[in-house]
Amino acid sequence: MPKRLPCNADNLVLAAELIGLFRAAQGSTRGEIGGQLQILEGEHTDYRMKRGLAHLLESAFSTFEMHCPLDPSTLRQRVFMCSAPSVPSPQSSTATLTAVADTLSRELGRDIGPEQVRAWLYADMREEQVLTSFEEPTPEALLQRYNLAQAQGALYRASQVVITAHRNDPGEYKLLFRYLKLFGLMTYIEGDADHGFTLTIDGPTSLFTPSTRYGLALAKLLPALLHVTRWSLVATLVPRQLSPYTPQVARFALDAGCGLVSHYPPGKLHDSILEQAFAERWAQTSTAWRLEREVELIPLPGSVMVPDFRLVHADGRSCLLEIVGYWRPEYLRKKFAQVRRAGRQDLILAVSERLNLDGAGVKREDIPVRVVWFKDRVLPKAVLDVLEG
Amino acid sequence: MARSPTLSFDRGTLLLHPPPPGKAWIDYATWDDRVERFRIPAIRYRRLVEVLNAQGTPLLDKAPEFSALTLESALEMTPYPHQSDALASWLAAGRLGVVVLPTGAGKTYLAQLAMQAISLSTLIVVPTLDLMHQWYAHLLAAFPDAPVGLLGGGAHDNTPLLVATYDSAAISAEALGNKYALLVFDECHHLPSEFTRVIAEYSLAPYRLGLTATPERSDGKHADLHTLIGPEVYRTSVAALSGSVLAKHRIVRLTVKLSARERQHYDALIETRNRFLQARGIRLGSLTGWQSFVRASALSRAGRSAMLAHREARALAFGTAGKLRVLVDLLAQHHPARTLIFTDDNTMVYRISRQYLIPAITHKTPVKERHDILHRFRTGEYPVVAASRVLNEGVDVPEASIAIVLSGTGSRREYVQRLGRILRRREGKLAVLYEVVAEATSEEQVSRRRRQTVHVRPYQQFDLLEPGLRVAEAGDETLDQQNRDGQEDDRSYRPSY
Repeated sequence: MPKRLPCNADNLVLAAELIGLFRAAQGSTRGEIGGQLQILEGEHTDYRMKRGLAHLLESAFSTFEMHCPLDPSTLRQRVFMCSAPSVPSPQSSTATLTAVADTLSRELGRDIGPEQVRAWLYADMREEQVLTSFEEPTPEALLQRYNLAQAQGALYRASQVVITAHRNDPGEYKLLFRYLKLFGLMTYIEGDADHGFTLTIDGPTSLFTPSTRYGLALAKLLPALLHVTRWSLVATLVPRQLSPYTPQVARFALDAGCGLVSHYPPGKLHDSILEQAFAERWAQTSTAWRLEREVELIPLPGSVMVPDFRLVHADGRSCLLEIVGYWRPEYLRKKFAQVRRAGRQDLILAVSERLNLDGAGVKREDIPVRVVWFKDRVLPKAVLDVLEG
Repeated sequence: MARSPTLSFDRGTLLLHPPPPGKAWIDYATWDDRVERFRIPAIRYRRLVEVLNAQGTPLLDKAPEFSALTLESALEMTPYPHQSDALASWLAAGRLGVVVLPTGAGKTYLAQLAMQAISLSTLIVVPTLDLMHQWYAHLLAAFPDAPVGLLGGGAHDNTPLLVATYDSAAISAEALGNKYALLVFDECHHLPSEFTRVIAEYSLAPYRLGLTATPERSDGKHADLHTLIGPEVYRTSVAALSGSVLAKHRIVRLTVKLSARERQHYDALIETRNRFLQARGIRLGSLTGWQSFVRASALSRAGRSAMLAHREARALAFGTAGKLRVLVDLLAQHHPARTLIFTDDNTMVYRISRQYLIPAITHKTPVKERHDILHRFRTGEYPVVAASRVLNEGVDVPEASIAIVLSGTGSRREYVQRLGRILRRREGKLAVLYEVVAEATSEEQVSRRRRQTVHVRPYQQFDLLEPGLRVAEAGDETLDQQNRDGQEDDRSYRPSY
């Protein structure tokens, strides 16, 4: 299981040291930075952790660029063509480089030495790229990112992830499902808003054989999950079969109290001004109905619907509310098809009168649930009338 | 009226809905609660459609997006008997299967014949960028009007005729799965690995052709080729093709002594390592021994320095300055003979390139530049090229007459393919393979292992000489045990393009 780096003084000093190395290394090549890191690693056994931190600094916080006034590939061709007729030797190399350097000095109008030409020969290689800018993280942020990456690393070998989303208000599920869809994952959802949901997540072909094909996608999903309020996760891992003693499967567990910090931006509090304004008005309305946000998941075959709000009465009654504002015709068609497929009697749609439903091929009388029509804003009273009506 | 069962493609799988009557199809299907549909692995597409057709079920098949191709060949030639036989066997086996042919026996032309027989969108998968470009060039020459594209090495084409690397095709397996009716796997022994097998598994392609000279894999996964591609439908050997006549060549093994200082340093490093290994009772030489060393090295400072010492000693043995001195000497002796230098790691290649201004090819070399270098090597503008592992498979460099191997991993395939490369030559000259190793280091063991495999099990990778250039006797003592029991077939072999 991945090892965490606690945010203690020792680790913060180490993180600060590495950050300092990168700060001072602006203008150095990747290769040079690598050499400095190797010195810092020395014979200490914590090299993995140092390497991990350095890798994050290099990949997530640094920009590297090529430094060479001409195309290295063209330069190589010139140098190799110039050297081809002579028998390879250190002396003939020097002669070739000097000849090319002289020509380049004339062409570029500045003094260029033979060793400079040799240095430019492979300027386009990764190791020769120069650190041009460094977005310095705080030592804490670096350790947080490291710990997140460690957990993600474990998930690379995951064949399946089961998330238990406990009773959550707000659920913040929309962000999670957006990423889930983006990464080509699939989910099977069980449960309800009052007891929580179980989401079994894998990919299309997982049905036949568990594979680590979706491990990377599952790892990328983790930062999105961290925005959900209360959850726990169990991943089934397929360890690399390095020896006959390696177990066939392993488990990796994590929950909302894991202390990991997401670097994905959080989802918007509300999808639109319409919903935000409605939530604010509801807060000022005196009623026994309490408003909860994004707490219900309605599983649909191959998809899921996350209604904007759930209304819960003190006496136990509850209802779902989805606000349909201004959208493109395809979206409307899909939305109403979803509502029909959901087959939920407790769903209320607030639909804008300004929508061109006919244009989207939606017949008003075909909407299978209760509807609150609105002009510019959704009024709590109108919703309450439907609820109690 | 009930809707017809509809088959659709979903990211490497098939969805079948509504369920058809009858039971035969259910063997292939699994109920998927997530979408409330029956799901079927894409690779079962052909069997499923055959079964449904056999029971007369009307099916609305929306899964494949194959396209028809008009393949007017500009490279029409009479196929060699082994090519016609291989094609006939493959066609008779339902256009599914693996053909085993030695390198240089015209696999590309066989694939061209298969593509013409199918005339539907075709995906060709190859192990390296070099091969990708070689196939591309061949397809452009063979089918000048066909839409040929590339996937890999920065190219992301989306054409009915596509050449892709195994890696890129595996990454895009879900998207490629329903676009191609014929899959051609070049060097198909690469396919069964965990990462790349999805190219076959996520594909509907009813027609599949695997090509290789060496189907066997050390992990035993070559058995999977049967399910992923099809049965082995044809196999022939160099011997059967033309009476076991090999190009004449010589292997020269040069042992380089470490300098006194290098030797001292090397011994000290090995001692550091061995002290630690002895103290822990770890024996290297087996996979588990090596793994316990790796584990132990992360746990203590002593272990860590033992591992660093091991690495430094290895680097010393592989990259010693003495080898470079020998290299310069050999280059001077043979200048300007066309010479390929092989090393095992990129660091060494670039060191040679920077120090002696010799063009280098590694997997990092940009595609255009790689072509330019190989082109200039062929024309003789560059007499010497240094390469790491990238040239290992099947890239045609017939002009090389000298090969210098500066290090190696001891893997059989790699060694022989390097050998085979310099033997692919059509001049009458003697080809020479130099193997430069350091004396009495762990590396020497590696080299011995390699040579043994050549003795024990001769590889069938050698190109054949043209009739006029045939030599009656076999090569030198290293390869004269090449099996000659094949029929004395006097058929001459000429590369088909």
